[in-house]
Amino acid sequence: MTTQPGRTWRRARKRLAVTVAVSVGAAAMVLPLLWLLGAAFSPSQQALTGGLLPGHPTLKNFSVLASGSASGVPVWRWLLNSILVSTAASVLVMVIDSLAAYGLARTRFPGRRLVFALVMASLVVPFIATLIPLYLEFDNLRLLDSYGALILPYTANAFGVFLLFQFFRQVPVELEQAAKLDGAGRLRIWWRIFVPIGAPAIATLGILTFMNVYNDFFWPLVATSSLNMRTITVGIAVTSISTYSTDYGLLTALTVFSAIPMVIAFIFAQRRLVAGISMTGLQG
Amino acid sequence: MSRLALAAGRVAAQRAAAAARPVGGRARPARGRGVRPGRRPGRRREWGGLLFVLPYVAAFAAFAGFPIGYGFYISLHHWNGIVGDQGFVGLSQYTQLFRANTLPAHDFWAAMRNTLIFVAISVPALWAIPAVLAYLIYLAPAPGFFRSVYFFPTVFSATAVGSLWTVLFATQGGAVNGFFHVNVAWLTSQPWAWIALDAATVWWTLGFNLVIMYAGLTQLPGATFEAAAIDGAGKIRAFFKIALPQLRSVSLVVIVIATIASFNLFAQPYLMTGGGPGSSTTTLTMDIYNQAFSLLHMGSGTAMAFIMGAILALVVSVEYVFGARRWRQ
Repeated sequence: MTTQPGRTWRRARKRLAVTVAVSVGAAAMVLPLLWLLGAAFSPSQQALTGGLLPGHPTLKNFSVLASGSASGVPVWRWLLNSILVSTAASVLVMVIDSLAAYGLARTRFPGRRLVFALVMASLVVPFIATLIPLYLEFDNLRLLDSYGALILPYTANAFGVFLLFQFFRQVPVELEQAAKLDGAGRLRIWWRIFVPIGAPAIATLGILTFMNVYNDFFWPLVATSSLNMRTITVGIAVTSISTYSTDYGLLTALTVFSAIPMVIAFIFAQRRLVAGISMTGLQG
Repeated sequence: MSRLALAAGRVAAQRAAAAARPVGGRARPARGRGVRPGRRPGRRREWGGLLFVLPYVAAFAAFAGFPIGYGFYISLHHWNGIVGDQGFVGLSQYTQLFRANTLPAHDFWAAMRNTLIFVAISVPALWAIPAVLAYLIYLAPAPGFFRSVYFFPTVFSATAVGSLWTVLFATQGGAVNGFFHVNVAWLTSQPWAWIALDAATVWWTLGFNLVIMYAGLTQLPGATFEAAAIDGAGKIRAFFKIALPQLRSVSLVVIVIATIASFNLFAQPYLMTGGGPGSSTTTLTMDIYNQAFSLLHMGSGTAMAFIMGAILALVVSVEYVFGARRWRQ
């Protein structure tokens, strides 16, 4: 029994070591972001060396940004574009994928296997292979540099079909039968039973799609050309490469500004995001 | 890299599909019998079901199926970005990539080499670092809090990450040089440029893999590690003997996701190094982008993209075969 306190002490020490290690790592993750905040609130000349706590904190970078026209950088328009495009794409994906998942999980129609094969096929297509033809397709349709070009390609989202298919398969048949006896049609069953029951999975799909589209870079870079049709992610690239490559205060402020919607989404939907990503490793 | 989560989805869904299909097929008739006694299930054709999948099929056809077919057609032609079709050339834009003395071949394989250098560093790092951290977080107090902290950078866009680290890695007065009291030309000399690109990428995306691996650890019965502790196995031994073997299937997913994302590396070098110094950080996607959107050679750019897609598919299937074989043992 005399070893008991010693063992407890050793265990506590190990736990402390683990906590310290994890905390140091966490500090390394957060430090660059704190530095970014500090730089964004520093006067332009001191942004680079300002460090975590700017000596002369200022809102000047943000006021220059917010006034758009003065800096030649239409940030509000870019932000609006990004939010509009991401919202539209995620709503479309939620509707299209939950309809398809319901159709595949609960109805037997001719060509069901073929549709399955199509979904499978679109999972293995690398996006780089479709990028150039997609660009030329939208060029032929005269849709480049429009919201259509920024939104539509994301609607072919096979991941969501599978995610919701998995979910809908597990919905008890009895629920559906009761509704059928009441004379409900298929569309009504989808809307009144499967959409509410699947709401957590559909919401997860929505937030993941929003994040992907908001943060996407390659497609909006090639699909838009005019300053006013850029999304905020492409806007940063345009800004950082051209005019403001040396104005670090403005560049860091723009970076902070661009991240605000995703930080808000993270705060409110973190649980959904984490749940959705956790699922990717555990299925199968 | 911004398609990271999409890539994750692809992997997960492939696995889900493999598991779900036969089960779904078998479950149907039983249900049918319950609803309509006496009628052979499956014989009844529900054309209505087709209406439900129609929007998806249309989206797939327009934005995935058609571009693949159209892309192949384009790759068989000299196709100028502005003028359009300039004549059929057969497979020559593919075969030129395998003849050593052509300029596109030289650039393509140089870009391939650059991409593989990045992949060789980032994929092991994006597996090992999250694996260790997930285990430490699992043992630490407040795992939910730490998981959120490590995950946080993942929600930023590739361009936000690129511009942040461009500033941090600045040679003159940059924060990284200041922090370590050195004077390294991080983004304009090798091998530092690769180290900087890998560091920024690992910092950005490790939280994504950590979340997946942490979820894998929590699937284990809690008693597993307690039993190991009673057996006198230390925490480090338990990591190698229990945690890692149990994370095998999750590790495969993480490695495949990291491989796909790393092969598609674009935004970080585009913003941080501009493909330099020289063209030493010009990756495959950058080379294809230049070919198609700077030189306006759409046909040969598409051919290069198809070859790249085939090579990526090959690498990923090798990973699957190895992963699945080791799994069975």
